[in-house]
Amino acid sequence: MSKEDAARIVRLLGGIGAAPPHLADFRRRQLISAAARLGVGAAAMAALTAPFAFPAAAAAAAKLPEMTSVPDSLKGKGSVRVCSYGGAFQAAQREAYFKLFEKLSGIRVIESEGPDVAKVKAMVDTHSIEYDIGEFDRGDVINLARKGDYWEKIDYSLFDTGHISAEYRYEYAVDMLPYGEILAYRTDAFKDAKPTGWKDFWDAEKFPGPRTLISGSGGLVPELEFAEMAAGTPPDKVYPINIDAAYASLAKIKPSVVKWWEAGAIPAEMLNDKEVVMGSAWNGRIAAIQAAGAPVEVVWNQGLLKRDAWAILKGTENKENAQKFCAFITLPISQARLSMLIPYGFVNSAAAQYIPASQLARLPTAPSIIEQLIIFDSQWWADNRDAVLAKWPAFLLK
Amino acid sequence: MGEAAIGGLQVPLRTAAPARWRTATFGLPAPLLVTPLLLFLGVFYAYPVAAMLWRSIATPHFTTAHYAELFSSDIYLLVFWITLRISLVTTIVALMLGYPVAYLLARLPPARANLLLILVLVPFWSSILVRTYAWMVLLGRNGVINQFLLAIGVIQTPLRLLNTTFAVYVAMVHVLLPFMILPLFATLRGIDPALLRAAASLGARPLAAFRQVLLPLSLPGVFAGSLLVFILALGFFITPALVGGPRDLMVAVLIQQQVEILHWPFASALAMVLLIAAMASFALLSKALGVERLFGRT
Repeated sequence: MSKEDAARIVRLLGGIGAAPPHLADFRRRQLISAAARLGVGAAAMAALTAPFAFPAAAAAAAKLPEMTSVPDSLKGKGSVRVCSYGGAFQAAQREAYFKLFEKLSGIRVIESEGPDVAKVKAMVDTHSIEYDIGEFDRGDVINLARKGDYWEKIDYSLFDTGHISAEYRYEYAVDMLPYGEILAYRTDAFKDAKPTGWKDFWDAEKFPGPRTLISGSGGLVPELEFAEMAAGTPPDKVYPINIDAAYASLAKIKPSVVKWWEAGAIPAEMLNDKEVVMGSAWNGRIAAIQAAGAPVEVVWNQGLLKRDAWAILKGTENKENAQKFCAFITLPISQARLSMLIPYGFVNSAAAQYIPASQLARLPTAPSIIEQLIIFDSQWWADNRDAVLAKWPAFLLK
Repeated sequence: MGEAAIGGLQVPLRTAAPARWRTATFGLPAPLLVTPLLLFLGVFYAYPVAAMLWRSIATPHFTTAHYAELFSSDIYLLVFWITLRISLVTTIVALMLGYPVAYLLARLPPARANLLLILVLVPFWSSILVRTYAWMVLLGRNGVINQFLLAIGVIQTPLRLLNTTFAVYVAMVHVLLPFMILPLFATLRGIDPALLRAAASLGARPLAAFRQVLLPLSLPGVFAGSLLVFILALGFFITPALVGGPRDLMVAVLIQQQVEILHWPFASALAMVLLIAAMASFALLSKALGVERLFGRT
């Protein structure tokens, strides 16, 4: 194996580690094809990285709600080049809204895979832009925006803003894919009581046993929000976070944390294998092991709602079409269709009425669930991430 | 006649008259043959390293602040110490496990030795990732090892093997073992077995023969293998991140974190110190032994 191949694999694996489920799945497929080229059995690689595979789309999904027309403002001609994360996830997006957008707006969707903010910087700098719009973490969009003029402003006059909460609308990106970072626990671990929030998670006497929480390395940020709530801060007072107080609270549970996870699959696997009794995890991962029969329960209360966003590259040739594209995707029916295919949430509150109750109950943005969550403050994190992460190694080793 | 080692593998080297060199280089002057490699290394290695060095001392202006930050923080020094400790233990364990295997390989008839060599090389060629995952499967709470120990009644509850420093050692030794075995094998194969018989005929017991004859002669292989393993271990990233415990924080993980948050000057300073540590361990060994011995001139 050449050094470059090794480096590539290491990079890909690091990428898997840092990624939310759909992104991890994308990188996993890159890894499998890299392995195939190296003569490592792709099948073996696929089996070994199976935990990173995207949770299967809801088989034989209920009939998706239909849309038969769009406002004239969303119609156009030509095309829009869209970059998402491929695989089962992008297939679901295609089924949910890419094809529908083509049909109703008259704008052709040209797909590609693997959005990358560093590449956006290079593409805009060199005026050789390969895609008009991509799916990014909002924090990454904010951080690149600070380095210069890399993004188009989102034209909210085209949007269904009446149903899209202000937290989802940022100047240079619009959230389109919320997911929950929540407490999950093994139902067979505690006889008398059930944990109901982070205070219980921090209570190692009442709820003894090893735990796992997210890491502060690998591109992730530690769950200071949870630490604050464990220390008694009410959910609506979590931001702005008092960094030192939150770390002090996090230090109290540190002796029980056997793994600071960097990959979405890890907490799910550890819960499944009884390596831990409780952990923070992404809701789609827990849904997958629950479906496989693991005695694991989700506590939505005091969970964190994170999300991906569409952002349009500065000066790209199809920018008007790209605006129409993301306005279309945040319409109620578009959002509902995706949430019915995969267990991700929606940013348009009117989407709920189109989703069957059984599926709605699994989604982080269901009305009865989202009121228990706090919305991850990307802006606070963009401002304070460096200060928080600078303290992480000391926190870990002291 | 002498031998040169490339990556620890010894190859015979012709040391004949310049005229013979001409023939060996197809009539081209020898420096011309090295030029492509030098160009390659210059563009893809020397330049990036220089740029990294420059970034670490010249951002935003000329400053030693990034190094001062590094060396004034007991946390960063602790991470370097952890990295050093893990690398040292890995090297020593790999040497103890690798030496007997290399010796066996060197003494077997070629056909059988080749067969065994394949067993060493297959994991060498398979991805580090696959091998690390395999350890996750083996060491887990419901993994093969715990299941076996439970079944034979040695333990009553599963042991915590995964996500510990022990798991880091096991997985890193496994990944790096071929780098130890191959140079050792090359050196040991070059040692005439008659020497050991001679030692025995002069009254040396096996242990004495090993200590006084085989070990000194195989030292170049020992050092080449140890150096390779140690330097590779210094930069390990994936294995400790996947199977390690909360305190197994290695420098490479720290560098990656700093790159992610766009603190490139400080990440560069960390990387430079790691590079210097690797070069220093190389220099130390070659000073102690002489470059020629280190590179296998016996």
